[in-house]
Amino acid sequence: MSLADRLVVDRRSAGAASAWLERRALSLAALGTAAVLVVVLYLPVGLVFVEALLEDGSPTLGHVAEVVTDPFYFGVLADVFAEPLAIGDHLGALVGWLGGISIAVTLASPVPGLDLPVPWLAVDLPPVRKGLFGFTAYQAALSTVASVAIGLPAAYILANYEFRGRRTLRSLTILPFVLPGIMVAVGFYAMFGRTGTLNTLLGAVGLGPFAFVETSPLAIVILAHAFYNAPLVARLTVSAWESVDARTVETARSLGASPRRAFRDVVVPQLVPAVLTGALLTFIFTFMTFPIVLALGGLQLATVEVWIYDRVQRLAYGEAASLAILETVLSLGLTYAYLRYESARAGLSQAPSPPPREALFPDVRTALSPRRLAILGYGLVALVLFVGPLASLVVGSFTDGSGFTLRNYAFLLERQLEGASFQTRPVPAIRNSLLFGLATLAVAVPMGVVISVLTVRAGRSGRLVDTLAMLPLAVSGVVFGIGLLQGLVFGIPLPGGWRFQVTGAVAIVAAHAVAAYPFVTRNVSPLLATLDPAMVESARALGASRTRALLDVELPLVASGIVAGAAFAFAVSIGEFSSTVILASGSEHYTMPVAVERYLGRRSGPAIAMGTLLLAVTAASFVVVDRVGGRYEL
Amino acid sequence: MKRRALLGAIGSGSALGIAGCLTRDDGGDEEGDGTLTVVTYESMIDTEDSAGPWLKERFEDEFDAELEWEQLPDGGINHYVQRADRDAGIDADVYLGLNVDDLVRVDDQLEDGALFRELDDDRLERADRVRDEFALGDPHGRTLTYDMGYISLVYDETEVAEPASLEALTEPEYEDALLAQNAQKADSGQAFLLWTIDAFGEDGYLDYWQRLEDNGVRVLDGWSESYSGAYMEGERSMVVSYSTDQVYANRFDYDFSRHQVAFPDDQGYANPEGMAIFEGAGDADLAYDFFDFVLSSEAQAEIATRNVQYPAVADEHVDLDEEFDEYAHTPEEMVSFGYDDLQGNLDGWVEDWAQEFAGQ
Repeated sequence: MSLADRLVVDRRSAGAASAWLERRALSLAALGTAAVLVVVLYLPVGLVFVEALLEDGSPTLGHVAEVVTDPFYFGVLADVFAEPLAIGDHLGALVGWLGGISIAVTLASPVPGLDLPVPWLAVDLPPVRKGLFGFTAYQAALSTVASVAIGLPAAYILANYEFRGRRTLRSLTILPFVLPGIMVAVGFYAMFGRTGTLNTLLGAVGLGPFAFVETSPLAIVILAHAFYNAPLVARLTVSAWESVDARTVETARSLGASPRRAFRDVVVPQLVPAVLTGALLTFIFTFMTFPIVLALGGLQLATVEVWIYDRVQRLAYGEAASLAILETVLSLGLTYAYLRYESARAGLSQAPSPPPREALFPDVRTALSPRRLAILGYGLVALVLFVGPLASLVVGSFTDGSGFTLRNYAFLLERQLEGASFQTRPVPAIRNSLLFGLATLAVAVPMGVVISVLTVRAGRSGRLVDTLAMLPLAVSGVVFGIGLLQGLVFGIPLPGGWRFQVTGAVAIVAAHAVAAYPFVTRNVSPLLATLDPAMVESARALGASRTRALLDVELPLVASGIVAGAAFAFAVSIGEFSSTVILASGSEHYTMPVAVERYLGRRSGPAIAMGTLLLAVTAASFVVVDRVGGRYEL
Repeated sequence: MKRRALLGAIGSGSALGIAGCLTRDDGGDEEGDGTLTVVTYESMIDTEDSAGPWLKERFEDEFDAELEWEQLPDGGINHYVQRADRDAGIDADVYLGLNVDDLVRVDDQLEDGALFRELDDDRLERADRVRDEFALGDPHGRTLTYDMGYISLVYDETEVAEPASLEALTEPEYEDALLAQNAQKADSGQAFLLWTIDAFGEDGYLDYWQRLEDNGVRVLDGWSESYSGAYMEGERSMVVSYSTDQVYANRFDYDFSRHQVAFPDDQGYANPEGMAIFEGAGDADLAYDFFDFVLSSEAQAEIATRNVQYPAVADEHVDLDEEFDEYAHTPEEMVSFGYDDLQGNLDGWVEDWAQEFAGQ
């Protein structure tokens, strides 16, 4: 063979290899995703869940049955679960309850501190024992309503108006997402406490002080949940709004639809999936809320997760796992119901051509229009609710008993320069957080995309897989942590004295990716579902492999979803605490939230300074991430 | 380019999934290798002015050995109970920071007297310096107390008067005044709960807490949330906290009117902290040396001043500086539950109490 011939053969076999790889890329990626999920999610969680279903080695439903028939957990429903067939009794109890309702017209003064009598329809419901699950669902539902109500106006403004700093503001909506629970609690007290920032400001104009936190602990907890989740709803909705095809609106208008009608019939249907996704995620997160309810509200507002934590502390895994399984079943059930709805709506569209943005305050006259004033009012609310706690936190990091101080930052600097090897230093924490964030991005984005691609057109079985893919969000954080500890840190014993262990940076990134990929999937799937399958089919008919069609046709069309999901993936990684602290234990792999927790001593100053650093680093990275990502969006 | 990045990422993803790591237990530390691994909570080593770095430096100088600090993992004692239960191996030699309830937990989950060695007092020179009343009361003799703290009330004298008794806290004067912590999670919360059980008995404490609840007590998550969060932002006028509060107020220039310490009924709940040697410790001699070192006058004073805890040894064996004498307050009478009181009772007491509040 001549040299030239050999080169041709080589090139051909290289070409064949890459073609082989390209043909199978999707299957390989799916395999990789499955492997990560098995090792870092199914195995650890399964290890704990199985405790609920075993009693001395034999299968049982005893633990679960005990939980669902306990009135402490399920309130009045416990009786129904205990004797499901005694329908007559249950109906009798219901009728008795209905009979106890009384309605009366009275006068009430609903505004606290203002003696303004208003006719009021007093509905007196006999008390119902909600139980721990009932209360948990109740506060989650209220939190979801509040988060959507507060998040939607933000989305509307960010998507429809142009103003200085809009892009930066849009980037910064991620900030609450990464803040450790203790920082949110301290921030809320620093803002809304009796001697907090808000009362200080109001006092300057002769008002107050008001007992914002004391008046209704439930309301403050719901606001704290909205602090976390309204930005989530807003982000999801903004990215949907920006991919609305403005030409469809123009068509509707040219056919005689009023602006209101065009909005209702053309724009709203394209936003609903994003809003509902936000609501679903908010409900699931707040259903499994843990530190924040007790930090701000108190033990009366305890949720299921609080009891799971307690049972794990007592090493009562059977009960902890039963509670966790019920949480998961409920969350996945809701997810499935939502996905059915989402797929039923999937229509065909659309090359995104976002509607043009109006200037927010072009001139004084427009600025005084009712709509602009409403936006201004909302801005004020957002300023108090979102900027307030964050700013109060930053101020707190510069304050001690004597007023302004740099002591807390001096501590960070000193620790960085002189800290011993066994101590936590700020710079490695920052570096680790950023590296893990980038690595998470690189792993979670393909994972999420692969799951979207495989499930979007697979009908009912796809929906099932898609539902299961949400598992990371639907599993109790406490249980996930214990599973990681027992499964990956302690290791699985193998014959011959070997142990299978996964720890260190690899385990941390994998755990972060597992927590993060559902955000990618939920951002990408709805967009992928609306693509016209004919486009992929034409590409395939013209000889493109499935992978090539995905890369060249589908992904560019859903780029905005990928970018939105990637931003969340990065944020999830930066903010993750509970599994990081377990996997980083005894190593140099600590992150910023872990450092915050470790600096928390009898004085919170150093921890708050570290929290401020966390905020600054995250804010800077997101401005960068969104700028870079923004190039791919349009 | 983008495609390659995607494929690369997919590749690294799958590599991550299968790149587990197989390890084999090599039988732990060698005997007498001159290194002592001590596991302890974070405020001993990682917060401002922690005593940990000082202890390490001095111990290493004095004994020509190496001391390695290991940060207590998230689960606390449970982490080691589970390790022992699953034969996952324990690298540490010494546990610094044991509470009585930790020992009860160990014995409940493993077996009586498990996890730590019974201490041989003959190998310790300074064990008899420890005050008898600070002993954890372990029937298996596994621990030695090295410091302790009192739980008390901290209040704002411009808003409320000093409460004379626990009973007084249920009176209108203290309506919506008190912040406490969740006994399921926080040491300070559990200590206060046990104090009320000591005062009102097993049959009476729930009734007392019912009256506290009617009077508006708020039970927050942990000490940091209730103290650094709620109390320091003026939310309420009284909080369950430590009797060394004024030491911090003095160091960081806070106004003392909001940092008054009260001992209702002239009592405070005492939380002694102990140290113990793991069963599988490699170098027990060095561990005994460490215990003697920790009980030395100098180390006792350093721990007390830096961690702001009380020394475990009798007065003649420790010299504290004036700051401590002036600002760290001691109750006339200490309340404390030992091992025997807690065993078989603690979980039930806490559960009954927590159910009074939650899930209604």
